[in-house]
Amino acid sequence: MADSREGWKNEEEDEEEELDETNYIAQKDAVLFAIDVSDRMLQPPPESNSKRAETDSPAMAAIKCAYQIMQQRIISSPKDMMGVLLFGTEESKFQEEDSNARGSIAYPHCYLLSDLNIPAAEDVKVLKSIVEDPEKAEKLLSPTKEPVSMSNLLFCANQIFTTRAPNFGSRRLFIITDKDDPHGSDKTARSQATVRAKDLYDLGVVIELFPISQEDHEFDRTKFYDDIIYRDPAEENDHALGPTSLKSNGDGISLLASLVSDINSKQVAKRTLFSNLPFEIGPGFKISVKGYNLLQKQMPARSCYVWLDGETPQIVTGQSARHEEHSTRVVEKAEIKKAYKFGGSQIMFSPEEQKELKNFGLPGLRIIGFKPQAMLPFWASVKKSTFIYPSEDDFVGSTRVFAALWQKLLKDKKMGLAWYIARVNATPLLVAILPSQERFDEGTNVQVIPAGLWLYPIPFVDDIRSPPEVPAPLVAPDELTDGMRKVVQQLQLPKAMYDPRKYPNPSLQWHYQILQSLALDDDLPEMADDKTVPKFRQIEKRAAEYINNWGKILAELSDSVKHKTEHDEDDPPKKKIKMKAETLEEMSVADLRKVIDAGTLSKYTATDLKSWLVSKNLPATGKKIDLIDRVEQWVEDN
Amino acid sequence: MSGKLAHVYIVDQGSTTEECHSGRMISDLDYALQFVWDKIATVLSANRKTWKVGVLGLRSDETRNTLSEEEGYENINLLQDIDEINIGHLHELQAALKPSSTAAGDSISAIVVAIDMIERHCRLGTGKQGKFGKKIVLVTDGKGSIDDGGDQAHINSIADRIDELDIELVILGTDFDDLDFGFKEEDKTERKRNNEALLKLLTERCNKSQFGTIAEAVDNLEVPEVKTAKPYPTFKGRLSLGDYFKYPETALYIDVQRYFKTKQAKVPSASSFTTAPNGNPGTQPSHTLPVDTEMIDAKNLAVVRNAYRYQVHDPTAPGGKRDVERDDLAKGYEYGRTAVYISEAELNITKFQTLASFSIIGFVPSDKYERYLNMGPSCITIAQTVNPKAVMALSSLIHALFELESYAVARIVGKDGKDPEIILLAPLIEPDLEALIDVPLPFAEDLRMYRFPPLDRVVTTSGATVSKHRNLPSEDLENSMSDYVDAMELSNFGKDEEGQPTEYMTINENYSPAIHRINQAIRSRAIDPHGTVEPPSEFLMQWSNPPVGLVEKATPGLKALVEAADIKKVEAKKMGRRFAREKAKPLSGLDVDSLLDTPVSQTISAENAIPEFKQLLTNTTTDSAVQTAAKQMGDIIKEFVQDSTGDHSYPRALENLKVFRNEMVTFEMPELYNKFMRGFKKLLLKEELGGERREFFVRVGQQKLGLIEHKTVEQSDVTEEQASEFLSLKSELPYRGR
Repeated sequence: MADSREGWKNEEEDEEEELDETNYIAQKDAVLFAIDVSDRMLQPPPESNSKRAETDSPAMAAIKCAYQIMQQRIISSPKDMMGVLLFGTEESKFQEEDSNARGSIAYPHCYLLSDLNIPAAEDVKVLKSIVEDPEKAEKLLSPTKEPVSMSNLLFCANQIFTTRAPNFGSRRLFIITDKDDPHGSDKTARSQATVRAKDLYDLGVVIELFPISQEDHEFDRTKFYDDIIYRDPAEENDHALGPTSLKSNGDGISLLASLVSDINSKQVAKRTLFSNLPFEIGPGFKISVKGYNLLQKQMPARSCYVWLDGETPQIVTGQSARHEEHSTRVVEKAEIKKAYKFGGSQIMFSPEEQKELKNFGLPGLRIIGFKPQAMLPFWASVKKSTFIYPSEDDFVGSTRVFAALWQKLLKDKKMGLAWYIARVNATPLLVAILPSQERFDEGTNVQVIPAGLWLYPIPFVDDIRSPPEVPAPLVAPDELTDGMRKVVQQLQLPKAMYDPRKYPNPSLQWHYQILQSLALDDDLPEMADDKTVPKFRQIEKRAAEYINNWGKILAELSDSVKHKTEHDEDDPPKKKIKMKAETLEEMSVADLRKVIDAGTLSKYTATDLKSWLVSKNLPATGKKIDLIDRVEQWVEDN
Repeated sequence: MSGKLAHVYIVDQGSTTEECHSGRMISDLDYALQFVWDKIATVLSANRKTWKVGVLGLRSDETRNTLSEEEGYENINLLQDIDEINIGHLHELQAALKPSSTAAGDSISAIVVAIDMIERHCRLGTGKQGKFGKKIVLVTDGKGSIDDGGDQAHINSIADRIDELDIELVILGTDFDDLDFGFKEEDKTERKRNNEALLKLLTERCNKSQFGTIAEAVDNLEVPEVKTAKPYPTFKGRLSLGDYFKYPETALYIDVQRYFKTKQAKVPSASSFTTAPNGNPGTQPSHTLPVDTEMIDAKNLAVVRNAYRYQVHDPTAPGGKRDVERDDLAKGYEYGRTAVYISEAELNITKFQTLASFSIIGFVPSDKYERYLNMGPSCITIAQTVNPKAVMALSSLIHALFELESYAVARIVGKDGKDPEIILLAPLIEPDLEALIDVPLPFAEDLRMYRFPPLDRVVTTSGATVSKHRNLPSEDLENSMSDYVDAMELSNFGKDEEGQPTEYMTINENYSPAIHRINQAIRSRAIDPHGTVEPPSEFLMQWSNPPVGLVEKATPGLKALVEAADIKKVEAKKMGRRFAREKAKPLSGLDVDSLLDTPVSQTISAENAIPEFKQLLTNTTTDSAVQTAAKQMGDIIKEFVQDSTGDHSYPRALENLKVFRNEMVTFEMPELYNKFMRGFKKLLLKEELGGERREFFVRVGQQKLGLIEHKTVEQSDVTEEQASEFLSLKSELPYRGR
């Protein structure tokens, strides 16, 4: 019986391999944004001449940030919760009454903008309306004149977490404020706040502070926040990243951008794939490491069943039960035997034997030896890699040993080779251990790639496919290669590297854009913004001459080398000629109209339609049906 | 190995094969059959209709074969004509292939029979030979008499026929001499020596042949056979640079095809069955298995199917949920927790529309790319083979990339409607192959932004950077690590055929242990249904430890490294931290408790139960105080369940239960928890906590919140069995019928 939504849709049991990923996702995360609303937080930044100057007040930037992050989380972690709480507002609002709330108390000057939950379209709408409607924003973001009680805020957060996300593995409170000393000399208020903060700690809620320094005032954590923020000694490492500080100063990088990037780096709950895996560097010499999935192919969520007979459409949950075919007898797990198809029959193993067949020894990572990185062929890639980082939990000193190994591999461009079993009964793999150098974003200086080691799966012989037989290659003469070399030199990517962050997945973005529009009753977007399409104009600008030149050399060469073959090739199949007397581009408007009237425009390929559109300087992207529409529109207009 | 196969095995079962030789405990026949069964089982395991096998018994008591009308073909028995083989046939063959009571029978004649069988089987309607993988395998002890026809012409004519039909001939002999393998039988009889020479001569005359001793073949069974897949293009079309529609003169395209270079091979998957009660054959699933198959091992198996129940929230229904029919449901997607309904006609509205294309985005220097960003299997792109212009054009790109030490980044849509991917293309230049190899790259969303502290410096809480720290390696450690890594070098540890140093552990020797172990176990079980599951073979485990020779060499270096590292193992979790727990402190180190004017309250409130419970325990020093706290916590949990509408408060109750349990483990007072749980279970099952609450108890089990076992805490007297017994609700739950 599986009650999670992921599990029950699997028609066939591809359980074995998939199991890891689902477990991994099951560590759920809940994040509550607490945004300070005060006069200072509402002050727009000082005027600036900079073109990129921002006009958002810190509070507004924080709400925009929450809005962005909420939309992002719906895509990247659809099972995780998020909420937004404003504090210091004139108005107060808490959770909606529900049958289980025991006489819910209002928390003065805490305004729960969006309750902690898996975000719904409604929640996105609420944030959107504030971001897009200044009047509404102004009305809501009106600060109270009374002093704000932090203990009150912390207990409010406590209750939100307790009731909404009681059994979440990761619960975090993000406080965004510029007030480093909210209670000043009021000792009682201060003590109360520290006691409430301790409650949160005992509850397992982690406070993350996003301090905003104003132009005339540097945020000082020691004044108050160091008394309410706890760090698990085991997690000391996290803190070693150093504190962040954000500035609202009007020019350069906007507060919003740095807030988003800073929150982003913390909003993803750091989930381990495995913790404290023994890493045997030499026989008998072990340290411990944790594993992380830093690469994870994001896919649009699968479709689900919706029940429409209620007041609002509802997602249907499913439960699966196993039963015998041709009878309705429900089968218990213990009764199930596994059998393999073999020579027209089934070969059976008992559950114990099945388990034994998966047993290749204890989980661990064991070095077999080292090789130069160059000995790993480019093609030897079969699965994404796992990032590992040392942990002091089992072996004190793991970090320094790990660091020494990392340094050596990096310096000498070597790789470790290791036998790797990630979990009990996991399939054993041979991995190359590759070092990564720490890399930062040049603008925000936020870490992009951490320093550490990667477990890179080496293909098995079984994974290698043989390409089809091909005739001996026809090596290009030097002049042609020279021509191409000039083209390549002209078209290097910015910063001479592939930066994944510049290439959002267009299908994923489109899927969620449409869903969001449907969910929010917005107009559907017309065309996808596909950042992966090459920058054709740039290419044309920078390399047109060289490409043209290369083309000429190629034409000459191929004319002289293979005149006859070339000739044959140029004769298109007869069938094609019959079908299309002329291409769209050669048609007159009158002819086109005939085609449209006859309803045969759709018979032309999208490629034909596109080249026609291009020739008329019309956009040539979108679905075929859109292309046809555009052609028809043009003919009608002319 | 794809395509059609026609293999014939000739098994010498003469009376002499009953003997045991060379210190073996099994008969020569059984020894040879190990090889034959494994090979036949390999064919069986492929489950391919076009892989066909025939078997001939040689020196059999019976005579029955396609040429038996003629003279000289006696004592050759057709056990299985070339045909699809199933496990039933295998077991029949096992029964039939026992040492006979005769020594008569000619192995060369048997080969001729096999040639005839293959020739007939592979003859097409047109009379021509079809395209098959043809093979004859003879296993013999070499003790029968062979009529060599008087001269070599006879042997030559047979060899010619074999070549003409493009058959591979494999002859394996029990205790045949094989100097390469390192075996020589000392007390060989004259006849066997002659036979060996004759058979060897025959194989030497054939184009495709092998001759060897059985021992080697049996040894080689350890080296798994790898399934190969037919290459199919993942893309066929134009590789473009620039927009050749818009700028036909200044943009380019090359006609190419792209194939998989690697693809993860799957571990064979098993299906679920139950043994039908009372051997009721009526439940035999006829449509998943051919009806005519004899079910040796699979008698009375019933296929297990999944059935789904669809439920929606309904506060008015018992349990807060009610079942709905699948037919009444529409399709849609989740946007957060909002259900977005999409009508049947618009179902692909969220699908990004694409057209097949393959276009270069730009180029990057190869040393700037980090291998660990690879997202999956690699592919190979070659120019359209019949198009010399394309071949030359692609060649110029390949060579330009090679000379500039660059890679290309490209966007590819394999087929119309498929999702775009971004790939990195590298040049591959071999004497007979020029191609681009590519690997998939991550998109922005695929990269998880977790931050980790650097490894070459430590940043303190105040933001200062230090370069000497216990987490940073000392110079000594750096040096000894460097020496050790160098000592464990594998790039020249292997030996090639000439004994020259070469790379150790190449990819071509890297067989998937998981796949081949299962395959091996399936074959063994098919051959011997009563055998036990063996541990993985040494061959499959060969890379599970560093090579002994290398380890020996590196021992001094390892010693130095261990010393410099000064690693300390953390003792197993210290229990009994009771009453002496370290108090958590905020970053400032403030003692929060000291701020309180009044001592910590002794009562626990439901709304803030977890912190208060923990704080109470931290500040307590007596067993009785722990008991009071436990009692209060228990009552709160019961109250949550009692007042819960449907399963609304279950998560909260479970979370409290979890904290309760963990604390009792820490305090080594398991009995407080266990006693509570026993009473709690009774109340739940007697429906005294607000009605039907079995579902809650099921979740208790799922979250592993049952009794605290002796295994976990010494003080507990609950055994593992008792603990699992406690969680079972027998057959009463959880299915309420369909």
